[in-house]
Amino acid sequence: MLDFLSIDVGTILFTLINTMILFFGLKHFLFKPVNAVLDQRKQAVDQSLQDAEDAKSAAESTKAEYEEKLAAAKEESAEMLRKAKRQAQRRADEIVAEAKADAAAVMQQNADELEREKRRAAKELRNEVSDLAVLVAEKVMAREINPDDHARLIDEFINGVEDAE
Amino acid sequence: MAIPSFLQGSSELTVSGPKIIASFDVFGITINFTETIVLQWFVIAIILGVCRFLTHKLTVRNISKRQVVAEMLVESVRNLVKDTMGKRWMCMTPYIATIFSFSICGSLISMLGLRSVTSDFSVLATWAAITFFLITATKIKFNGVWGWLKSFAAPVPVMLPINILSEIATPVSMALRHFGNIAGGAVITALLYYGLTGLSHLIGLDIPVFTIGIPAVLSAYFDLFSGFMQAFIFVMLTMVFISNAGPAEEEG
Repeated sequence: MLDFLSIDVGTILFTLINTMILFFGLKHFLFKPVNAVLDQRKQAVDQSLQDAEDAKSAAESTKAEYEEKLAAAKEESAEMLRKAKRQAQRRADEIVAEAKADAAAVMQQNADELEREKRRAAKELRNEVSDLAVLVAEKVMAREINPDDHARLIDEFINGVEDAE
Repeated sequence: MAIPSFLQGSSELTVSGPKIIASFDVFGITINFTETIVLQWFVIAIILGVCRFLTHKLTVRNISKRQVVAEMLVESVRNLVKDTMGKRWMCMTPYIATIFSFSICGSLISMLGLRSVTSDFSVLATWAAITFFLITATKIKFNGVWGWLKSFAAPVPVMLPINILSEIATPVSMALRHFGNIAGGAVITALLYYGLTGLSHLIGLDIPVFTIGIPAVLSAYFDLFSGFMQAFIFVMLTMVFISNAGPAEEEG
């Protein structure tokens, strides 16, 4: 039996060995597996956070994209509306102009027609009057006049009539 | 009627060191294989068995209660080392855990009626020597051999013997403090059993009834509290001395 307070070489030696055994045992059986799990969990948490951040930024970029697209679509529709308005205005203007032109043409035509009609009427009247004058003259003068005299007489008469007018 | 020996109480008081189981002569040096070593194996088996049990089937998610305990143990030792020594000394964690668990369990086996491993001065001397070695290694690592040697003559060469003494006093005081507390507790417990047995016999009781219950009160202090405290003090001193041996850690 050793003394109560003793320093024993053998005990020191074996204690050193035992301490090392426990050291490596703890390292291998406790720290290595637990640290591995803790690291894995840390990595998993980091990964999750990273994923969440990525998803957030992706969502934000998608949102920005859609907003841009929406703005572009709005712009486009406004442009289309303006274009359509312009077109409609132009078309209306065209139609009105056409209608005005048509109306002017019709009026011109009517005026021309009227003029022609007037001339025709005047011509007819002239012929009829000349015939009538010849007849009257025949009756009055009771004699035949030659066509030259005839024509001269008519002209004189008509001129007289026109002057009278 | 003869009373069985285990019921007779403690009728003789012996204060002695650990039993020698075997002795070898190696190059003229007597190597004793003592009771302490066998008890150390027992303690190591318990600690590693518990570790094996706690770290059974570790998972990242849906962790079991054992795993919670295992992670808590590892985290608490890591935090202790980080708070006391700083981040760069994290590599010391397994060693601190080794000394801490070995010391606690080595002291607490006295609760099973076994001899405390830590009531053998050689054990504490070994651990203190390891601490001394680590302190010195750290000093040499950060200051160089010459710087380390010069530090003994600082601030004035007259201080040389005092510096050497203080250097050696560190491990010696650590070992003696731990040993004294645990061994003293064991002596007091033995005295108490002896005294209570004597008291029982004095009032004419063959069975020492006073030894039931009463020693448990003192045991709570000398075994439980003292065992934890000394283990904690020992590792705290180890950590503080080693981290103080290096230069102050930069913040951040």
